[in-house]
Amino acid sequence: MALRELSSLEKYLGLKKPNKYSTQGDKKVPVLQNVNGPPLVGLVTVACHLVREAKRPELLGDCAESRAVVQQWLEYRVTKLDGCTREDVKTILKDLNLYLQDKVYMAGNRFTLADTFMFYGIHPLIVDLAVQEKEQYVNVTRWFDHIQHYPGIRHPLPPVVVLRNKIYSSKHH
Amino acid sequence: MTKEEAQGAAEEEQQAQSKKGLKKQQKEAEKAAKKAEKQAKLADEQQSTEEDDFAKDRYGVSAMIQSQQKLDRVLVRIQDLSPEKADQLIWLRARVHTSRAKGKQCFLVLRQQQFNVQALVAVGDRASKQMVKFAANITKESIIDVEAFVRKVEQKIESCSQQDVELHIERIFVISQAEPRLPLQLEDAVRPDGEGEEEGRATVNQDTKLDNRVIDLRTTTSQAIFRLQSGVCLLFRDTLTKKGFVEIQTPKIISAASEGGANVFTVSYFKTSAYLAQSPQLYKQMCICADFDKVFCVGPVFRAEDSNTHRHLTEFVGLDIEMAFSYHYHEVIDSITDTMVQIFKGLRDNFQTEIQMVNKQFPSEPFKFLEPTLRLEYTEGLAMLHEAGVEMGDEEDLSTPNEKLLGRLVKEKYDTDFYVLDKYPLAVRPFYTMPDPNNPKYSNSYDMFMRGEEILSGAQRVHDAQLLTDRAVHHQIDLEKIKAYIDSFRYGAPPHGGGGIGLERVCMLYLGLHNIRQTSMFPRDPKRLTP
Repeated sequence: MALRELSSLEKYLGLKKPNKYSTQGDKKVPVLQNVNGPPLVGLVTVACHLVREAKRPELLGDCAESRAVVQQWLEYRVTKLDGCTREDVKTILKDLNLYLQDKVYMAGNRFTLADTFMFYGIHPLIVDLAVQEKEQYVNVTRWFDHIQHYPGIRHPLPPVVVLRNKIYSSKHH
Repeated sequence: MTKEEAQGAAEEEQQAQSKKGLKKQQKEAEKAAKKAEKQAKLADEQQSTEEDDFAKDRYGVSAMIQSQQKLDRVLVRIQDLSPEKADQLIWLRARVHTSRAKGKQCFLVLRQQQFNVQALVAVGDRASKQMVKFAANITKESIIDVEAFVRKVEQKIESCSQQDVELHIERIFVISQAEPRLPLQLEDAVRPDGEGEEEGRATVNQDTKLDNRVIDLRTTTSQAIFRLQSGVCLLFRDTLTKKGFVEIQTPKIISAASEGGANVFTVSYFKTSAYLAQSPQLYKQMCICADFDKVFCVGPVFRAEDSNTHRHLTEFVGLDIEMAFSYHYHEVIDSITDTMVQIFKGLRDNFQTEIQMVNKQFPSEPFKFLEPTLRLEYTEGLAMLHEAGVEMGDEEDLSTPNEKLLGRLVKEKYDTDFYVLDKYPLAVRPFYTMPDPNNPKYSNSYDMFMRGEEILSGAQRVHDAQLLTDRAVHHQIDLEKIKAYIDSFRYGAPPHGGGGIGLERVCMLYLGLHNIRQTSMFPRDPKRLTP
């Protein structure tokens, strides 16, 4: 899963030569052999390296504050989101829904790596939601629909249908 | 001590004892005197109170009414109490809803079905203290006869249905006394669930209500629901009779399962066994073959389905329609949908009071429908579901969650709670459904939905004996068991179709309720056989 994300990211960044990755440990943490130094271990580390290689530093945040927020969400993805249990899903979606209430992107005012990796992490949860639940977490769904339409991000994951109009009225049925 | 001294001491002791004894005796005598005084006083008082009860024959518990006499007395209905009757002296019979004593007065709320009125007994020259005390002690739900003056009130009594008048009681008699401990309180049974939780007040759970149905049915909500249900039956009969339909009665003890083996109740029938009818299907059709042209029937339907859901009962009332048509089965659909629309209109126009009363405890959106009724094809419905991300095969039947989702999508797109889904796949319909002439995968069958839940399943029926036999064989049905049914199509049968609705389900969905037991007076489900 993580390897597929990295190869998607490479395609998005337009890196010509795809890297060869190996994995370590039973959590299948991706490892990138580096000619210039020690191997890079970890999804976030490798991703940040790729971004710098592709000379797209703005994807990590354009000011100090947004850079910090991007790192925060990348860490959240790897620690809280991956391998979360069924009971955690509701809490995670509720928290995200509250966070995204007044934001278009996860960090700052532009598309960053935080959006990419939170998208990949959230996708398996959103795919299983019923229409009523998608309406309940309306901000998460809105952000998700926005990101999944970004060219080069969603593929090869299946698209999630998001209805334009609310079909469950505010009164609980 | 010497003998003399001892003697002297003993004497002294005796004297002391007798002194003590005297004192003791004195005290006892005083006590006795006081007691006697008290008793005399009490006796005096009692006598005086009995003497003072000048109103003794204006209240009390009546002898049981065993039709001892014919009283020429008119009892007024609470709903007719208005300022027009001010200052009249009337008799009425009602239940005691509440009674509350306040000093020299007793306030009662008297109730008849959904109407109630405030009544008052006050100590004065007409009512004694004992009478007021008696009124305050009448148990809730007791049936009483009162003679009272109707008086206008300046301030509206908000908590009663009759707000402009109150009764000043002259005479009050208990006709039928209720036991003091009621299994449930009517105010609790009518309290909306949310309010109960918020204010920490009690609500009554459904099982308790159903176990004590007689008391639960007295609440305003229940009265409203079943009056509306009566209205549905009335409108059904009237609309169809106007369209030229004839009401028929079909047998409920039958020899073979009509819809397919699994869910029938078996009864012992003398030396063999028989079944309780799952639907009047076969008999409706036989009536059409018997030239009754357009028929309907209202009667019980028995389904031995071990489903404990919010919308299944083992016994319910089926309203069934069957009619012969000229050239296309859409004539049948149009007739049925028009009947349903007439029922909805009749309820909307004539039963608003009942609908509002139910909404007080169970709030819901008013029921919306289009005229003419919306009709979608099954494939269109599937397309709408696909658009919303649901994956379903072309010949698959709709599951309940998908039905509900489709209902929501239709409501959002067309703004209606009632619609028809036409041309179901043949594979999921019973053997007597007529296949579609142009596409063998589909059939001339339809379902109707209210608020996203199915209320009617219908179709054009196969009226050709040979085709019917083929379809039965295809469904692996024992031809012997349905021989009489197939025979009825051998001597000329017109093309016909129809459908059946469940009375309880229609009421439940019209009112926006969530459990079918609320709209069944004495519901039957796999776990309930009484009351």
